[in-house]
Order: sequence, then structure tokens, then C-alpha cells
Amino acid sequence: MSKRHLSSLLAAAAFAATLSLPVASVAQSNAKADAKTGKGKAGQKENAADFQSASTPTPTGPAPKMLDGKPDLSGVWTPGLSFTQMGQVPLQPWADEVYKQRRANLSKDDPEGHCLPAGVPRISPFLQKFVQTPTLLVILDEGNIHSYRQVFLDGRPHLDDPGPLWMGDSIGKWDGDTLVVDTKYLNDKTWLNGQGLPHSEDLHVVERIKRPDLGHLELEITMEDPKAFTKPHTFNRTYLLRPTWEIQEYVCNEFNVDADHLVGK
Amino acid sequence: MTFRFRVTLASGFALFGAVAPILAHHSFAAEYDSTKTVTVKGTINKLSWVNPHAYVFVDVKDASGKVTTWAFESLSPNALSRQGWNRNSLKQGEEVTVDGYMAKDGKPLADGSIHANSRAITRADGRKVFVGSSADDVTYK
Repeated sequence: MSKRHLSSLLAAAAFAATLSLPVASVAQSNAKADAKTGKGKAGQKENAADFQSASTPTPTGPAPKMLDGKPDLSGVWTPGLSFTQMGQVPLQPWADEVYKQRRANLSKDDPEGHCLPAGVPRISPFLQKFVQTPTLLVILDEGNIHSYRQVFLDGRPHLDDPGPLWMGDSIGKWDGDTLVVDTKYLNDKTWLNGQGLPHSEDLHVVERIKRPDLGHLELEITMEDPKAFTKPHTFNRTYLLRPTWEIQEYVCNEFNVDADHLVGK
Repeated sequence: MTFRFRVTLASGFALFGAVAPILAHHSFAAEYDSTKTVTVKGTINKLSWVNPHAYVFVDVKDASGKVTTWAFESLSPNALSRQGWNRNSLKQGEEVTVDGYMAKDGKPLADGSIHANSRAITRADGRKVFVGSSADDVTYK
């Protein structure tokens, strides 16, 4: 990014800092909610969906390219309200029962409350940093106990059954300007969201990631789990670029006194 | 169902203008009682700048002079810092009034302090420097 571009972004940020957004509405997945996004005084719908700073603008411009011509997904991204949205996941009866129990107990046993990784495709509301090379995409989570994901772009196949993993084994390949990330070997300890949507070790996740312009990352995520779902389920997320921000430390187990005080209903 | 939350300007404090809704890495409702609110007036013992939540420790003196320390769970430092906070934002000895929610289990933290969740902190001059609570967290609703 040029210095000129950066300075105009900073000017826009300074202007936006004078605004406040009064109300935003959010939605949830299997709680049968409708997705709504508040529109605040800034008049930018997507910024109202930004948890981290509701008045920070998203930059505009063309998406950057790697030297090999592939899109460069690198950047510091905020998921905004995307992190809560998963739509209606078609659960098998046993999985629905587990889900209802977790709901009834107010998510007391969510692994994240015990500073365990969120898994895939669950994300935290905090920033993610994408670092891309021609052969590897690294995704660094600010939240989610500082988890990282490696997406191998060098053509290697999946590992030969490495056993259940918290963040799975991810390989990616390009379909035109879309990176298709295939993830397997996830453990069944993680919840798909804070409400407690369950899955099995057969969960298979395909993320189709596009960068339509400088400031946006669009993800179409398909989950299939023949042991827990009745059919595959697809949902979307949009991340917003935060070029002047950086991911910060988030050492979840430093003072996680919550674990001893989560009592449920 | 749709959940609404308010994004409010913390006057005179927030650098970025708007205060984000509060997020926790755990379910608020599993730990705190949203119907059991509390207002505590005292002095800042310390702002503990730790993850996954910063804690505001407040000393409260009763009529006999006995001091009780309260521990209010707050945001995480990364979220607080993007609203203009740092570890020195609340000074030791500063007078504050804290509105919050009591922990469900009624048990103190390991250091003996009374455990609660902060919703708003009002400084002696009337400025509210912290609004919202993980009671509004959409992750678990």
C-alpha cells in the first residue's frame, strides 16, 4: 500500500472517530434468528457490524496480487458480526439433543471457556492475520487462544490420518481467484459455535475464500458431517480489512478464573 | 429471535469513538446472574491488565472502616486497548462507582475478593468510562 493511500485511510479513520453508532442488531444460528445488521450514523452498514471499533472505515481499492498472479489474501482482518452467523445447521436427532442440552445449560461447558481452541470453522470475534506465501497460507488468530492454522498450498495431499486434531489438517488449491481450503481430521471436542452446535470427527470443512477488493474477504463455508448432520450445510462470512491494526497478545490461560465459576443454569 | 445491544459513546475516554459490544470467551449467563445487579462505591485497588479478562479491583470501606475488595470482570485487554484503554487508565486510589452483576456461585476469587462482572464504571466527576457488559455478548445467546 502506498504512503498516500495509507495517509488517506488514517484521515478517514480520524473522521470516523468522531462518529458513534447507536444500535446494531445481531443474529444467531440455530436459535432461529434473522440476520440483521444495524445501520448507524456513519451510514456504513458493514462498519456497524465491526465489533472491534464500530466507526473504523474499511479501505477501498483493488485486491492485491502475488507475484505469481494469484490473489494475495494477506492482511489483518476482523470478522465483524460474521463470527456469529452460521444459519440453520441440519442436525441429526442425537446431535440436536446434545445441542439442546448445551443450550439448556447456558453453554457452561464450552471448550473456549476453558481456553481450549475453537476448532474449524468456529472463529472468535477478534482479529485474524493472514500471511500468504506462494506455498503456504498462515492464519493467526488473536483470540481463540492464539491458535494458528497452516494451509498448505504446495500441492501436498492430506496427512495420512494424523488422529483427531483441534484445528485439523488444511490444504488449499486455487480455483481461479478463489482459494479452496479443505480441512479434515478435526476432533469432536470443539463446538461449532458458542451455543453448542456439535459435530463428529467426520466433520469435513471446505472454505472458498475470495478477496473481491482490497478491504473485503468473502468466505463461503461448507460443512459436511455424515455422523452429525442430515445434509451438508453452507454459510457465508465477510471479513473486513483493518490495515492500521495489529493482532495483540491474548494468553487465555493467564487468569482464566472463569473456569472455576461457570455453574450453568 | 433477535438480540439488540447498544453501542454507546464513552464520553471523554474512548479514542475510537464507539465502544464495542462486550465479548467474553465464556458464557456470561453460565457465570453471572443478570437479575442480580449491584452498585458499589469505593476506590480503585488496581486495574489488573490480564487475559482473558481484565479485572477492576475496588476497595469498599464500611461504616466501621473495614475494607472489602471487589473484583469486577471486564473486557479483554485487546478489546479495551482498541477503545483507548491501557493498564494505567484507572489510578489506584481513584474514587469510582461500579455497576455490575454478581457471580452466580457466590464464591469469592482465590484472593478472597467478591466476584462480579462490571457493566459501568463512573468516575468521581460523573464520567462513565466503561459501558456494557458481557451480559450483552451475542456469542452465547
